[in-house]
Amino acid sequence: MTSLFQFTGSELEAIKLSVGVAIYSSLISLPIALLLGYWLARKQFPGKAIIESLIHLPLVMPPVTTGYILLLVLGTRGFIGQWLYSTFGIKLAFTFEAAIIASVVVSFPLIVRSIRTAIEMVDPGLEDASRILGVGRLKTFFQITVPLAAPGIISGTILAFARSLGEFGATITFAGNIAGETQTLPLAVFAYMQVPGREIETLRLVVISVLISFVAMALSELYIRKMKRS
Amino acid sequence: MIQVDIKLKRDNFDVIVNETFGMGITGIFGPSGSGKTSLMNAICGLARPEKGSINLNGKKVFSTDEKINTPVEKRRIGYVFQEGRLFPHLTVEKNLRYGMKSGDQDGFFNKIVSLLNLGHLLKSKPTKISGGERQRTALGRALLSSPQLLLLDEPFSALDANLRQQILPFLLKIHQTINIPILVVSHDITDLLKLTNRICLMQQGRVVGHDDYHELLKKPELQHCFSNHSLINAITMKVSRVDLESGITQLSYGESHNWIKVVVEKSRLNYQKDDNIKIFIPSDDIALSAHRLPNVTIQNQLDGVIRDIIERENVRICIVDVGFPLLVEITAESLKRMDIEVGFPVWCLFKSVAIDVAG
Repeated sequence: MTSLFQFTGSELEAIKLSVGVAIYSSLISLPIALLLGYWLARKQFPGKAIIESLIHLPLVMPPVTTGYILLLVLGTRGFIGQWLYSTFGIKLAFTFEAAIIASVVVSFPLIVRSIRTAIEMVDPGLEDASRILGVGRLKTFFQITVPLAAPGIISGTILAFARSLGEFGATITFAGNIAGETQTLPLAVFAYMQVPGREIETLRLVVISVLISFVAMALSELYIRKMKRS
Repeated sequence: MIQVDIKLKRDNFDVIVNETFGMGITGIFGPSGSGKTSLMNAICGLARPEKGSINLNGKKVFSTDEKINTPVEKRRIGYVFQEGRLFPHLTVEKNLRYGMKSGDQDGFFNKIVSLLNLGHLLKSKPTKISGGERQRTALGRALLSSPQLLLLDEPFSALDANLRQQILPFLLKIHQTINIPILVVSHDITDLLKLTNRICLMQQGRVVGHDDYHELLKKPELQHCFSNHSLINAITMKVSRVDLESGITQLSYGESHNWIKVVVEKSRLNYQKDDNIKIFIPSDDIALSAHRLPNVTIQNQLDGVIRDIIERENVRICIVDVGFPLLVEITAESLKRMDIEVGFPVWCLFKSVAIDVAG
């Protein structure tokens, strides 16, 4: 049992990578989801249903197909990827950045949905009241809308964070399973499972996965409760 | 001064208004769905008229011809909503300070806080205070943003009768302290009359009358506008004598020889001799008599001449000139029995307790 918490270098690397991918992808998703969530909650425009369906697509598509589409678009021979490589020398597929992109795409519907619902619950009359008091749109957004929608924004971000931690299909397709570069926790678990006699290592990583997700959820729950009380 | 000349599309009708509102309080009166709130929203910029212009104190804030549409936040308008719309996540103090410019001094803040009696609430959250306190906070917040115009949309309707009585004196004080035009929207004429006699009458998106309340009543085509309401007399009178012991106050009006006696509770005796106060007498609390009655308990007997008789279903509203116009509502049957008509001298009788004093 003592060996249960003695991590090998590659395991620590996987934990670090997973948390890193999850943090980066949540931080990238958050501002875009805030804008998009506000837009969807407050504005009516033709074709809104189509935009909504497109945003929610990765939620219902098999992640492997999402990863494949990413590869088609951003891979070195994809139509954007080719341009990025020939113009800037940027290669995205099978890199750490690719793991982040895969996570962002897959977790984005969750955070947008959550933020959109939270903003819909904020009375637009309060935003009007703020503007009448001489405070512009942007300041009103940050002083009224965001604080009032905060519980939904936080839980949406945590949801996206947790989804990124668990991301497998799109990551392995678009970013590959390269130890130390794109091998996140689920990918490492998968890799260990392929090798006989690695049950302890597998279990260890599973426990760590559960722990990280649990702590993230619990922290957000506590924070939201504290906010509701004040 | 506000000049409004707009056409605003609504789902079921258009709001077409061409009016000028001066300093002081103007009451916007009309049934629900007559376009009162739409007019407010157009003035403050929340609704965009299809055509026209809006002028605030000589500055154009909206004009379709000149392509001007000053954004809401730049119009410097105070707006008190029916539901108050306080920010629930901020304390009363932060709500009050929300629209204040950073350079504003605390003197003004303290003045408004004491004027509206909000001092003890500053640290509370809006959800923890009463409806009347919320409305006062909303009023204070609007005033502290230093508006050049104040809009009040049904400021009383969320309050019960008791709280209304409490907020009215604050509104009158505001009006005396801060000299800006104030528009008050209400579907309750009695509420409005407690604040002002200048009434702008709206129906189906149009202004059908804009004048002194008593002048509006004289116009036969407008009488149906008031038909759902028991008419009330709203008269500003001068205190000519006040007995602090008994609370008996004698009121006079201009050069008129008629005077009114009213008994006011000691706690509400907040005026002195020569002050102007506003009193309210429901028109159906006044009786008419052909002669002065010598031995009755009725304290107020005013002689006058019938100037006009308005017919409304089975009641008749007599406008009696007793030195000032007094509305008296009697049944059609009484009118017939007394055999009176326009030009006849009559006595108006009402008890002191029928009189309500503002403030």
